Amino acid sequence: MAKKYTLNIAHLYGDLMNTYGDLGNILVLKYYGKKMGIDVQSNVVSLDEDFKAADYDIAVFGGGQDFEQTIVSKDIQTKKDEIKKFIDSNGCLLAICGGFQLLGKYYIDAKGDKIPGIGVMDHYTEQQHDNRFIGDILIKNEETGEQYHGFENHQGVTYTGSDERPLGDVEQGYGNNGKDKAEGAIYKNVYCTYFHGPILARNNIIAKHILIKALKRRYPNDDFSQFEKMKVEKAY
Amino acid sequence: MSLRSELATFAGKSSYWFLHTFMHGGSSLPGKITTAIDPEILKHLGKNYDVVVITGTNGKTLTTALTVQVLKQKYENVLTNPSGSNMEQGLVTTFLKAKNNKSKRPLAVLEVDEANVIKLTKYIKPIAFVCTNIFRDQMDRYGEIYTTYKKIIDGIKLAPKATIIANGDAPIFNSVDLPNPKIYYGFKNHDDENDIKAEPNTDGILCPKCQNILHYRYISYANLGNYFCPHCGFKRPVLNHELTKLGQLTPNSSQFIVDGQELSIGIGGVYNIYNALAAYSVGRFLGIEAKEAATAFQSNERVFGRQEQINVEGKDVTLILVKNPVGLNQVIDMISKEQEDFSFIGLLNANYADGIDTSWIWDGEFERLNQMPIKKFITGGERYRDITFRLKVAGVDEKLHEVEPDLEKVVKDIPNLPTKKVYILATYTAMLQLRKDFAEKGYIKGGME
Repeated sequence: MAKKYTLNIAHLYGDLMNTYGDLGNILVLKYYGKKMGIDVQSNVVSLDEDFKAADYDIAVFGGGQDFEQTIVSKDIQTKKDEIKKFIDSNGCLLAICGGFQLLGKYYIDAKGDKIPGIGVMDHYTEQQHDNRFIGDILIKNEETGEQYHGFENHQGVTYTGSDERPLGDVEQGYGNNGKDKAEGAIYKNVYCTYFHGPILARNNIIAKHILIKALKRRYPNDDFSQFEKMKVEKAY
Repeated sequence: MSLRSELATFAGKSSYWFLHTFMHGGSSLPGKITTAIDPEILKHLGKNYDVVVITGTNGKTLTTALTVQVLKQKYENVLTNPSGSNMEQGLVTTFLKAKNNKSKRPLAVLEVDEANVIKLTKYIKPIAFVCTNIFRDQMDRYGEIYTTYKKIIDGIKLAPKATIIANGDAPIFNSVDLPNPKIYYGFKNHDDENDIKAEPNTDGILCPKCQNILHYRYISYANLGNYFCPHCGFKRPVLNHELTKLGQLTPNSSQFIVDGQELSIGIGGVYNIYNALAAYSVGRFLGIEAKEAATAFQSNERVFGRQEQINVEGKDVTLILVKNPVGLNQVIDMISKEQEDFSFIGLLNANYADGIDTSWIWDGEFERLNQMPIKKFITGGERYRDITFRLKVAGVDEKLHEVEPDLEKVVKDIPNLPTKKVYILATYTAMLQLRKDFAEKGYIKGGME
C-alpha cells in the first residue's frame, strides 16, 4: 500500500483576491494531487486571521480589484513575518498579479497612490498612464525550456530585483513591464506572474512542479521520481 | 425646435425608414447619423417623455421586457428598446422610431448600458433609475465593479429628483449616499438569526463603511442577500417590496410571493426572479396594483431573454447565453432544477464580444453538474481545450464526455444524443454561430432577436 501524502494550501485572501478565476489554481492542484494520491486540503486565510508558516505546504495569492487590494495591503503587514518565514523555509508560493505586487516593495495604484507591499521580495511596481497590457501571452522558461501560455491584463509595470529570475522570457505579449522581456519572477520556491487567474489550468506542468517541490519539502526522505515521470495534459 | 434638431431628426427618421424598408435592420446607424448632425439631439427627442432607465450588469434586457409588460396594464404605448441596443446611438434610434402620440405624456422604458447612463441624463431627466446588480463582467472591457457603479452614479447625479429603484440585496447599491428618493426590493424568505459568509470566489463582499467582510442572514446568490456588518452595524436597507416565499422552481418557470401576492413567470433562474421583482417594483411605483402585475406576468407573451427553446429533430434544446461567472452559476443553478435526464453542451469562444479572457470559467460551479441527471457532455468552440479541461477538473466522467471543437458538427450530433432534453451553454459568438447553423437547417428563423 502506497504511503498516504497530505498537502495543505493556504488560499491567501481567497475571498478578496480572486478577481480572475484564481481559484482555478487550487482546483488544478487538487486535480493532480488526486492523480498522485495526495490529499490536498485548502483553506482561505483572510483579514484578521493568522497565517502560520508551519501549517502550510503551498500558498496561493491571487489578484484583486483596486479597492480590495488596498484593504489587503494593510492587513497583510500583520502576516509579513510568517510569510517571510514560509518563503525562507522553501514553502511553495504562487502569486498572481496583485499578489505578485504585494510581495514586493510597493506598487502604485490606478489613482497614483503608493501602496506598500511587504518587501519579502525585491521587485517594485510602477504605473503606466492610460494604458493596460491586455492580451494573450506566451513565454519561455530559460531553465526548463518549457513554454507557458496565459492571458495578461495589468496596468502595473513591475521591475524585478537582482535575486529574482523571470518565470519566463516573453515570446509574445508584454510581460512585467513591456521593456525587459521578463515575465513574472522566481525566487526560492515562489512563482510570481501576471498571467491571469488560473495560470495552472493552462500550464499543468507548473502545477506538477509545485506539487513535487511541496512533497519533497514535506517528505524529504521519500522518492518522488514516479510523479516526475507523470504526463500532464495539454490544456491549452 | 431648432433647425439643426429638425434636420437631424429628419435625417435620422429617413435613414431608419430606409434601413427597415429595404435592408431589414439597422438599430444604431440612424442614431449615428442623427447625433452627427445634432450631438444634443436627445434633449429634443426625449423632452416630452417620462423616462425609466434600467441598468446594471445582468438582467437589463429581461427586466426591461417584463417592466413594459407590467406597464401595459395601464399605459397604452410604452416606448422601449427591446433588442438591447442600449448605447447612446441605439437610444437615439429608439426615440426616432417612436410613433407620434400627442394625446398624453408618453412613457419610455429604456435599457441603458452602464457607461451610457450619463450620456442620456446629460439631456434627459428620467423619473426613475432601476439598478439590477453589478457583477464582474468581461473585465477586459468594463473594469472593476466599483468603476462600473461609479459610471452609473455619475449619470444619476445629473437627475437628483429621480427615484432609484434598486436591488436591496446588493450591498453596492447602499454604498453611496444619494439625495434621490429610493425604493428597494429583495428577498425576505429566511430566518433572521442565521450568520453566514459568502463563498470565497464572490466579489463585492467588503463592507463599504468599514471595509470588513460582510456577513449574511441569507444569500440568494453571489453577494446578494440580507447582508450585515458585525463590525460597524451597516446592513441591508428596509425593503419596500419583499419576496417572502419561493414556490416551485423549474428551468422554465418560477413561482413566488411578493408583498402577499402570488406571482409566476414563465422563465427559470433565481436571477430572473430578481428581474421580475424589479419590474413589479417599477409597476407599483407607476400605479400598477400587485394583482395587475400578476396578470401581466402571466400574459404568455414571449419576452426576449438570453435563453430560448428550439426543437431540433424532436429534441428539446434550450440555448442559453453565458458571459460572466455570476450569470454562469445562475444558469447552472437553473438547470439543476431539471428532473428529467438531459445532455449538456458547453461552447466557449474568446472573441471580443465573448470577452477575450476565459479565466471566468474557473469561477463557474461546474462541479455541481455531477449531481445532475446528465447522460452526455459535449464541449466545443474555439477555446474547447479550456472548457474541456474545466469539466475534467470538475470530475465529469470521461466516458460520457465528447470533445467536438466544430460547432457545425455539434449541431449534427444533437439528434443522436441519448436524451430528449438538451441544455446548451454558449458564449456570445458561439451562440451566433450556432443560431446561424440552426437557421440554415430550418430549426429557427435567423438573426439574434
